[in-house]
Amino acid sequence: MAQEVRDLVKRYYPDFPIRHCGKIYRDTTEFMNISYGDVIFIDGLHYMVLRDEVERRFGIEDPKYWVKRCRLLETGERKIVKLVFYEEFQMKLGHTEILCHRSPQKEARILDLVRGDMRFMQGVSFQDDVDNNMRVLDLIRGRSLDHEVYGIEQDHETYFRESFPVILEKFIGASEAIGFLHSHGEKHGDVRRDHIWVESKTKKYRWIDFDYTYDFYQNPFALDLFGLGNILVFIVGKVDCTVGTMSEMGFTKDDIGKLSPDDFSIIFQHRLVNLRKIYPYIPEKLNNVMLHFSLGSDVYYDTVDEMLDDLRPCLDILGD
Amino acid sequence: MNPKKVLIAVDASENALRAVEYTGEIVGNSEEFHIELLTIERFPDRDLFATDEEWKEKCAEHQQAFMDFLAKARQILINRGVLEDNIFERYIVSCKSPLRTPPLACSIGTNIAQEIMNIIKDEEFGTVVIGRRGVSKEVEFLFGSVSTKIVHYAKGCTVWVVS
Repeated sequence: MAQEVRDLVKRYYPDFPIRHCGKIYRDTTEFMNISYGDVIFIDGLHYMVLRDEVERRFGIEDPKYWVKRCRLLETGERKIVKLVFYEEFQMKLGHTEILCHRSPQKEARILDLVRGDMRFMQGVSFQDDVDNNMRVLDLIRGRSLDHEVYGIEQDHETYFRESFPVILEKFIGASEAIGFLHSHGEKHGDVRRDHIWVESKTKKYRWIDFDYTYDFYQNPFALDLFGLGNILVFIVGKVDCTVGTMSEMGFTKDDIGKLSPDDFSIIFQHRLVNLRKIYPYIPEKLNNVMLHFSLGSDVYYDTVDEMLDDLRPCLDILGD
Repeated sequence: MNPKKVLIAVDASENALRAVEYTGEIVGNSEEFHIELLTIERFPDRDLFATDEEWKEKCAEHQQAFMDFLAKARQILINRGVLEDNIFERYIVSCKSPLRTPPLACSIGTNIAQEIMNIIKDEEFGTVVIGRRGVSKEVEFLFGSVSTKIVHYAKGCTVWVVS
């Protein structure tokens, strides 16, 4: 096996250190064993593993051992190969626990649905020798939306007046993409600001990671909508505004004292949603969209379209 | 609209049971009522299961629970004096059902409240009865509330919300 990899490396990747050549895998069940220098054989092509992908959240690196950053030896292209990992876990949202699953079949199905639609990551799925579903994904060069927003060095008012209108327009496009999935009976499953990838060259917003699903058939799209609401509140606020971050940002106790529980998120009850209370230049119309995600609301959006019907007109009044 | 043409929208929950019991108490043995028990089939997503067999097994369990509930609900109404001939049952199959080929009139399942509203409107039910879970705003936001939506959107009929 090692000789086979060495031969491939000599032919396609001569700069690769021979001593790190590993095995060829046609059965990817034991994905923990597949590491740097190993080669995954998929549909007649050879994907050399360079490293496990890592998710960075809250300053912590979380390795995803079932997701491999690879080099397609035959072409030299970088690819991401996602292997089967039937994870099941309880996700805590506020006081509610929701049973979540990873579903490779769901992700493969959505990849088929969105082929050629650059609002989404692109890729193809294959079965390995023992019918594990592997997804081979194109790499998107760029960074996540939260890093993009954090990287804008402007005070809030300047950000809101100068940078935000473009961000909102792109966010509306990204929301339409989620609406497209819903119209086909699919949900994204993990709508978060770090699952929108901003492509470096084009600055297009592209959704990644569709393999989450959850036992939520009574209200199947509610979590996606909640995720969009969270992202909207984040891009309007430029950060997550909590009592803690507001103190750091220089808001006084009096400012914070004027806020009531109804001003905060219906699920994350430490996160301020009624941002107009601290940034009075936020138009009421835009603020009202965000208030649908607040504890004080009795009316919620049922569909992405309902939210967008309220949000699109906000583009016209920004900058007034 | 005929207020004595009553639709009770039920799943297999305790709340639905209360709605049935309440309706039975109110209607009693009055001859003029038409009582229809409506169940809209809802199954867990296929994606939650590793194999088709596991999924089908779970769906069959759900289906049986719905059927058992309908039989139980009918009996509750009869026990409260409702005339047998005035009780009707309707079971709407999920369009995604793996257990049988869904008929044309199947449930898409993404907006149960709207599906109920359509039946009320098309078939001129004058009264709709529904159980309410009595949940927090957070849970209502996440899981949706069929009763809240029906209260908001119902037109031309009376809504009994039993909690």
